[in-house]
Amino acid sequence: MIAHLVPIWTVDFFGSLLMILLSFLCLRLLFRLRQRDPGNVIWTFLLWFCLGLSGFAISRSAGHLLKDILQVRHQEEVWATIRPFSGAINTFMLVVVSAVTLFFERTWNIYQRILKDKQTLEKTHNELIYLNQNLEHLVADRTEALTISEHKYRRIFEISKDSIMVTRRDGTITDINPSGQSMLGLDLPDNLTGKRSLEEFLKPADWQHLIEEIERHGSIYNAEMDLVGKDDTTRRLLVSASMDRGRTDEEETIHYLVKDIEQRRLMEQQIAQADKLASLGQLSAGVAHEINNPMGIILGYTQLLLREEATDSEKYNDLKIIEKHVKNCKSIVEDLLSFARSSKTEETPYQIHVLIDEVLNFVQQHAELDHLEIIRDYDEKAPALLLDEKKIKQVFINLIMNAEHAVGNDGAITIRTRYDKPTQLITVKVSDNGHGISKKDLKRIFDPFFTTKPTGEGTGLGLSVSYGIIKNHGGEISVESEPGKGSTFTVVLPVKEDQETGLR
Amino acid sequence: MAYRIKFTLTTGLTPILVLIGATSAWATQTHGEPEGLYVHQAAHVFFFFAMGLLIYWLRQRNLVKEKAWRYIQYSAILFILWNIDTFAVHTLDEMVHLIRTHKPDPWHLQIDTAEGLSFLGMLYYLGKLDHLLCVPALIYLYLGLKRLHHKVPSSAEKAAKP
Repeated sequence: MIAHLVPIWTVDFFGSLLMILLSFLCLRLLFRLRQRDPGNVIWTFLLWFCLGLSGFAISRSAGHLLKDILQVRHQEEVWATIRPFSGAINTFMLVVVSAVTLFFERTWNIYQRILKDKQTLEKTHNELIYLNQNLEHLVADRTEALTISEHKYRRIFEISKDSIMVTRRDGTITDINPSGQSMLGLDLPDNLTGKRSLEEFLKPADWQHLIEEIERHGSIYNAEMDLVGKDDTTRRLLVSASMDRGRTDEEETIHYLVKDIEQRRLMEQQIAQADKLASLGQLSAGVAHEINNPMGIILGYTQLLLREEATDSEKYNDLKIIEKHVKNCKSIVEDLLSFARSSKTEETPYQIHVLIDEVLNFVQQHAELDHLEIIRDYDEKAPALLLDEKKIKQVFINLIMNAEHAVGNDGAITIRTRYDKPTQLITVKVSDNGHGISKKDLKRIFDPFFTTKPTGEGTGLGLSVSYGIIKNHGGEISVESEPGKGSTFTVVLPVKEDQETGLR
Repeated sequence: MAYRIKFTLTTGLTPILVLIGATSAWATQTHGEPEGLYVHQAAHVFFFFAMGLLIYWLRQRNLVKEKAWRYIQYSAILFILWNIDTFAVHTLDEMVHLIRTHKPDPWHLQIDTAEGLSFLGMLYYLGKLDHLLCVPALIYLYLGLKRLHHKVPSSAEKAAKP
């Protein structure tokens, strides 16, 4: 085939010119890029790539242009001389461009690593600047937060009503809050730190159990134990503790939270006592009702028979003995009914102080109270009470007579009244400095037929009846006693509104 | 003493004998005409391979999602096509039993091909227009670089940033 050479020459000529032009334009752009971002290795790579490509383009295009010009001028022999050099340079530049291209991956990885390091450095730099600028402020904030936190936990420690303490493993107290000091009856913690051991305040068995549990499980939860006071009095405690294992054995501490449940225990005992007395009352009422009627019949028939008998006959005397004993039985039955709160009360307004004075006068007439000191400490603000005069008098007769028995020949009986307006309660305390009541007897003091007096001197119903009467009036009666120091009976009566007069 | 004389003779005479007995070693090799062509063709293969690798790396790193690198990828593809073209033309130039050229006049080119291979003439003629491939390749390279240039802020722009 015969082909026209003009298209080949045209494309060759202008293509060569464009190759040179474009390669220079690329180089120009890359030099600008390098100026803008001198540290970027990617631009360095592209610059080398374009330098190679430009070298190739120039050598090739210049060769082509020279060939075209020399051929037009019929100087082929000149071109034949230049051609090997042009070809060699052209080949060399092609190899250079290819070789440079092979470095792209490595260059890109380096670039990414640099970028990452740069970001890390910038982040660290910014953090450093921030810290540098705000260090003082940050320290102040942190210190304040720590102070607030310390204050908060210190307050919890100090104002807690429960005892909080820290001891070493051997029980030596290292820190204790005010409630704990008060509970243990200790001095200030400065004086006590490292000097006293918790072991001193617990029973040996309790202490052993506590330590064993902590050693075995690392903690103990709500264990009931007795705190032994200075004078061997005990208080019931609820102890929770856990071991704080420090970095060394010496740093190991035990943290305690101790609740005083003595009041709760006493209340539980009182509830149990009240339940017991209520059960006894029900039993007594049942028995009394069943006995009361036959007793009435026996008494009636005995009195009928007495009318028909001559007063000097032997039969009359026998019947009199029967009558006397039946009356005794009836009296006991009535007392039992009073204890069981089955008998009806007839309440009328009465001044408690007047009532107590009348009782004292009555007792003084029947017993020798002259040798005793009677101290009256009345609260004059106490209003009149709605009460069954006879029954309440019976209560105070019982209490005062008991006190008189307790003090013996020489002593004092104090009768103190207090009116508490907010609760509308009047408290009457009958105290003596007699021999007191033992702990064992104290639990049974209100039980029917319980008496410490010799047989024949008391039925053991006096305090039971008093208990029933006070309960029947909506009040409370309790006793506190210390053997050898005396006893105090406390009667609490509510101030009720008189339904008829509307007065208190 | 005898040992000493023996040592002197051995060490002194050996180099003299070696030098006297030396002939032409022909240490350098002459390079004939076809070598230039082979090297040039090898350079084309190398360039072809390098451009292929560049495309692979650009795609592997997802750089082609950016227009700038996508243009550079197009440039590499066109350079590969240009390589194929020039390699084929160079090869045909040497295969005189298949194709021969001469100029009947300054404006025309006579292309004679072997029996039944007339298409080679057309292929050879089109292959001679290789600038139609390498010039667009450089245009794409330029466009790619221009995009990269736009992405990098100038010092004035950097200074204007808060």
